[in-house]
Amino acid sequence: MAEPSMVSDPASPSYVLARLGYGPKPGDAAAFQRQGLAGWLDQQLRPPHGDDADTAAALARARLRIVYEGVDDMRPLATLDQPIEKLWPLIAEHDKHAPQERRRPLLETISSTLIRAVHSRYQLREVMCSFWHDHFNVDAWGAEPVAVALPSYDRDVIREHCLGNFRTLLESVATSTAMLYYLSNRSSRAGAANENYGRELFELHTLGRDAYLNDKYDRWREVPGALKGHPAGYIDEDVYESARAFTGWTVEDGSAIDGGRKLPATGRFAYVESWHDGYQKRVLATDFNEFQPPLADGKRVLDLVADHPATARFLCSKLVRRLVADDPPPRLVAAAAATWSQNRRAPDQIAKVVRAIVLSPEFIEAQRAKIRRPFALVAGFARATGLDLMPTEPLINAMAGAGQRLFGYPDPTGLADDRDHFIGTGAMRVRWQLVLALALNQWATGEWSPDAAMPPSIETVGEAAQFWLDTLTGQAPPDQVAAILGGMGVMQDQPLGPRQAPDSDKRLSLVAAYAAMSPAFQTS
Amino acid sequence: MPLSRRTLLKSAAAGAVSTWTPAPGLSLFAAAAQPSERPLLVIVHLRGGADGLNLVSPATDSDFIAARTSELRVAADGPGAGYALANGPDPKIDFRLHAAAGGIAELYQSGVLAIVHAAGLTDGTRSHFVATDMIERGIADEASLARIRDGWLARYLQIDPAARAEAGAISAAGAVSGELVGWKPALAVPDLAGGLAPAGGPQAHEVLTRLYASAGDPVCDAGRAALAAMATIDRAVPRDARGAVIPYSPEAGASYDTAAEFGRPLKTLAQLIKMDLGLDVATVDIGGWDTHEYQPGRFRNAVTRLSNGLAAFWNDTTRYHDRMVVVTVSEFGRRLRSNRSMGTDHGRAGVMMVLGAKVKGGRFHGGWPGLSNARLDEGVDLAVVTDYRQVLTEILRHRGALPASHVFPGYVEKGPLGLFGA
Repeated sequence: MAEPSMVSDPASPSYVLARLGYGPKPGDAAAFQRQGLAGWLDQQLRPPHGDDADTAAALARARLRIVYEGVDDMRPLATLDQPIEKLWPLIAEHDKHAPQERRRPLLETISSTLIRAVHSRYQLREVMCSFWHDHFNVDAWGAEPVAVALPSYDRDVIREHCLGNFRTLLESVATSTAMLYYLSNRSSRAGAANENYGRELFELHTLGRDAYLNDKYDRWREVPGALKGHPAGYIDEDVYESARAFTGWTVEDGSAIDGGRKLPATGRFAYVESWHDGYQKRVLATDFNEFQPPLADGKRVLDLVADHPATARFLCSKLVRRLVADDPPPRLVAAAAATWSQNRRAPDQIAKVVRAIVLSPEFIEAQRAKIRRPFALVAGFARATGLDLMPTEPLINAMAGAGQRLFGYPDPTGLADDRDHFIGTGAMRVRWQLVLALALNQWATGEWSPDAAMPPSIETVGEAAQFWLDTLTGQAPPDQVAAILGGMGVMQDQPLGPRQAPDSDKRLSLVAAYAAMSPAFQTS
Repeated sequence: MPLSRRTLLKSAAAGAVSTWTPAPGLSLFAAAAQPSERPLLVIVHLRGGADGLNLVSPATDSDFIAARTSELRVAADGPGAGYALANGPDPKIDFRLHAAAGGIAELYQSGVLAIVHAAGLTDGTRSHFVATDMIERGIADEASLARIRDGWLARYLQIDPAARAEAGAISAAGAVSGELVGWKPALAVPDLAGGLAPAGGPQAHEVLTRLYASAGDPVCDAGRAALAAMATIDRAVPRDARGAVIPYSPEAGASYDTAAEFGRPLKTLAQLIKMDLGLDVATVDIGGWDTHEYQPGRFRNAVTRLSNGLAAFWNDTTRYHDRMVVVTVSEFGRRLRSNRSMGTDHGRAGVMMVLGAKVKGGRFHGGWPGLSNARLDEGVDLAVVTDYRQVLTEILRHRGALPASHVFPGYVEKGPLGLFGA
């Protein structure tokens, strides 16, 4: 008789909940064990619209400080549910508002993102929102209109479609104020179109750089498959022609259209026919007739790129890189791309692809394969410890110092996903500082009692170190316990001391912080 | 092993010899200069594709004037005229430096800064990210990207017997720059304002040292390397009697403030240089060059930061001038014809600058292709006359013998520009 298998459930809760979420809260692991991976996943892939009750309550009690001449308030998050035209006076009447007010929608969106990551029951939705924010990156720190448009970009574009249909998401991005500013299509005009959006649409949003056949430049007939209407990739001419197709896609920013007309200043999407280049075009070996109805040229480009097989491969390889490993396993990318293409008209196309990726053998084998980015370190620490995290500017800036300025990556590639980007000397130093400062509440992110978070049965520092390593990383190897105790110069069986005493509370906070500074907490 | 006795002794004394393993079959730099003798190399990345034609304009070229709106050209006369540059590549054309580049103009006129126009990648990509990858890896064809993952500086250091394991290669940025990817000892140090010791004091340092003790895991290795580098550099950060970091004050009245966000990494770099830790190669980034719209104001800001930053850095490091070469590089230049957003889209050739006391400065190096339609790349962009690798090759050679075929695989030199010496 064979020995009963000692292998634990391959989908260990600490792995899945840290990879497809921001780590377990107390009680999450047991709940996950009861559901199993597939059951948990199905629930995560069909979140109800809006926030769950706990998250809504956390958002409602959040206060974010605002300080400028004559003002010093702890103010609730008031911009998140506002339509863009309600916030747009911050731009349209620029000089009536302090810079801190113009930046407020950005800081509130950062806060809500952190609060949702810490509290939401629908953790996978938060991970997918982060994925799409990276994929369809905008830099809200670099331009005030993008900062003011960020709540609606997060709410109506990314959050709305993060598990939905890619083609729908793509058009939602293309018509979003944030993207129209960030990739400057807003100012593109017939005559000499601005290529910024057109180029990144192909290279970063859809087909990907591997499908860029730059040596063909304008020789579209030489692109394999082009003469049959199925070009294998894109060329510079496709970029130029697409740029023409999107002329006239702009923002109601108060600009003059002609001598007698002017756009209103609402910040909403607008199509201005007289700015559109209506003449015939050819994109991806497909002819566009001249003078199509409003928006038709741009939408047709979106259809072509969304349906292209290279887009399925590129997007799936990015999804696998995020959800599985820095070097995406080719078999899994191909399988996910097949699911992607089969479901390209499905309203839950993205959810189906995520499901196919997660329920693969490659996913189970990829434990500890991914670095936790600074945001995930912070959210994961708060979840595991029960810290009711209140975002503050020092915290936001420290995450930036560790390599992740939320909604502030300047290049349209979006923030990298791979390990090496986050483990340089300066970045490691700030990673360690992040959890230490949270544990000791050095940045006013919330008081926290480690004692209250621990079961009363724990009586020694050694047991506390074991408890925190296990809670944070799902394991407590003896060498790591010994490292914490040895570095602190205490013995394994040293008693914790009187409960709730400030000294022992601080020491316990340090134990928890050191556990979060360990190598195992740096990855998921 | 073709290591000179002197090299061996010096390396052994520095405790560095065990960290270096020669790649098989490579001829090593028999005459490699020691880090203390050869100039520090500083790479300045103009990220986003800097418009070389707006930084150094062929101001009186009729093709240029016809193709571009006047706001995106440097004028040869009038109130906004740019700095005249002697010794241009075409005597019939008045080349002008952007009016916000006063610092660069001074360096040029004092003979320490050279300009290489129409320089760049011979591959025709107009993608930021493909072009950046190629330039960082020292190649010029996309097929090699899948095969060659290391940066060119990493390859250079890998076979360099004088390469230092500790604080020899630093990116003054949040992450190690692509040129140094593959060189494990490379460090990313964005800032030294608060020193570099871990938060939490000696106890945290001790705990971390023990937590990260085991070898083999990439995160453990990174943590250990970070702790070692932090200790080395932090020891050298000047502190007062109470242990507080003494704020850095640049020499010769130089101010990094006028360079805005470009000032911080340059200041960090100057601090590192003056710690005399043996810094040998360094990289620093300046963004803001992807000017698809509203270029006049945005470009002026970027040029102001670049020019003020380079000037401040140069003035602040006077004692090191004989031992320093600074080179600027950008992934590509921009389209000759401007778009209607008052900007320019991705183009081909750009401009490179080389700064150093031993540089044959105050002049252009390399050819000028002209801007008539037939001379343009695909009829739209300034053509690449000088491969960026030629500039880098001459800089590396100036630092010592160079197995160029290893650092820039597949590159065949087309004849020297003569950036250094006679």
